[in-house]
Amino acid sequence: MIRARGVTLQRGGRRVLAGIDFDLRPGEFVALLGPNGVGKTTLLRACAGFDVPAAGSIDLDGTPIHRLAVAQRARHIAMLSSDELLADELRVRDVVAIGRFPHRPWWRFSATEEDERAIATAVAATHIEEYLDRIFTHLSSGEQQRVWIAMALAQGAPLLLLDEPTTHLDVRVAHNVLALLRERTKTGTSVLCVLHDINEAAAVADRIALLGCGRMLALAPPAEVLASPLLDEAYGIAMHRARTEDGRTIVVPAPSHPE
Amino acid sequence: MLYRRLLPPLAALIAAGVGLAVGGDALPLSQVMHALANPHARDVAHTILWQLRLPRVLCAALVGAALALAGVQLQGMLRNPLVDPYLIGTSAGAAVAIAVALAFGIALSFLPALGFLGGLGASLLVAALARRGGGIDATRLILAGVAISALLAASVALLSVLARSVSFQLTLQAWLVGSLAGRGWSDLRFAVPYAVVGAIVAIGNIRALDALRIGDVRARGIGLDIERAQWSILGSATLLTAAAVSLAGMVGFVGLIVPHLARRIVGSDARALLPASAFLGAAMAIAADAIARSIIAPRELPLGIVLAFAGIPIFIIIYLRREQRR
Repeated sequence: MIRARGVTLQRGGRRVLAGIDFDLRPGEFVALLGPNGVGKTTLLRACAGFDVPAAGSIDLDGTPIHRLAVAQRARHIAMLSSDELLADELRVRDVVAIGRFPHRPWWRFSATEEDERAIATAVAATHIEEYLDRIFTHLSSGEQQRVWIAMALAQGAPLLLLDEPTTHLDVRVAHNVLALLRERTKTGTSVLCVLHDINEAAAVADRIALLGCGRMLALAPPAEVLASPLLDEAYGIAMHRARTEDGRTIVVPAPSHPE
Repeated sequence: MLYRRLLPPLAALIAAGVGLAVGGDALPLSQVMHALANPHARDVAHTILWQLRLPRVLCAALVGAALALAGVQLQGMLRNPLVDPYLIGTSAGAAVAIAVALAFGIALSFLPALGFLGGLGASLLVAALARRGGGIDATRLILAGVAISALLAASVALLSVLARSVSFQLTLQAWLVGSLAGRGWSDLRFAVPYAVVGAIVAIGNIRALDALRIGDVRARGIGLDIERAQWSILGSATLLTAAAVSLAGMVGFVGLIVPHLARRIVGSDARALLPASAFLGAAMAIAADAIARSIIAPRELPLGIVLAFAGIPIFIIIYLRREQRR
């Protein structure tokens, strides 16, 4: 569904990523890993059509994404960024309902049956029934993240782009959020998700896209990426690998030795 | 929830009733109704109502509703509760145009049109300075608005110092504090088309304003064309503010306070908030104008002064209460 070929991306006039090739298939979960500032968010924004690549192309089912009309794009791609605060006192119910925006012509102010159905499905999938009538900003970070995901699901887009959905969340809540996203891939939704925790990414993703040194160093199943020395190269530190009891590989930074 | 949505129109209706009844000569409500129901009667009450009160009340309603609608849209777009429609330079531009017109002795009947053009010009300049990429940068808009307004205000002060004519000073002063004295049907006819276009664009902006509540980047993610929404909101706010300024000069606080009051009553859903703001703005301006006309009759207070004395305490109370609740 997403096909990127020879993509070069700039941020603030400076080239951050070059020669990016990748495909995202229907129902696939790809985790985007890499050190701070490498261009993970820049790549995500380009996939959402927010920014136009300086070179190369990113297509959605054969059409360059930035050529799609904004509303049409939003019916196919839901992008959840992580950096903005809400100043307004919005109820959870209203936040989720805003997800129906791209399906609503400007003259229609009330929800249709289809809107209601999509909202109900999103609410059920994210288990936020109990706080629908609460004020969004009064919720905990984990609850807020669930609400954002519910909004993105209500949007009904087959492709979900998420920028660090587990930042600020504790281990259990982060696990639940990722499990919820994983669950969505079973119905054919594709997920491209920026993550920081390598082991978290390995546990949930079908493939890991590893960014480093201005390019995509690897795009492979988690076991391969974790075993590869490219991981050490990407982050610029040595990694230790260990095996868990159930046979998964986990990585931790090697202890640093003062010089 | 429904009864809360009915409060603002009700307030506007009551204010209109009071506005038609009070003034230099108080008319009992029965006489007001009778004169309204018989537009072709020829008594004194009829003349007062149809030639003086009704156009005044309608002017006040337009000024209040237009400023409130402009304010609520700009606050929503910039997600800044302290934004006022004058921030985008409209009032300062109008004031300069008026001051220049007065300095050159241009006929008073041209002032509304000149004020309108001056306001529009200054807003366009501010918008041009606030451009970034295809859209508008919130911080740049606020900075450009403050800077241009300050420059234009200094120009007005300069003209005022150079002119040294008493009539110039008095007319200019009336514009600067905001007043509806002497406004009638012809002024209303000039301003209504712009206000109506601004209001129609505002209705088209409702959907965007709702989406903007979740932040610019997220709103873009759900398919809002941010740039188009920003220009549309700015365009509507400029038309509405310029129409209000052309009628009444720089009436302060309505555009700042009314959206807050409306939000308290109907919540932040733009579908309810925009009409509520318009009705409350109209109610507030009509009521203030009624006070301005009657409190020291037969003389008049400028509308802007009454609104400031009524508006600022309300504003302070809202903010103090907010702090206490948190």
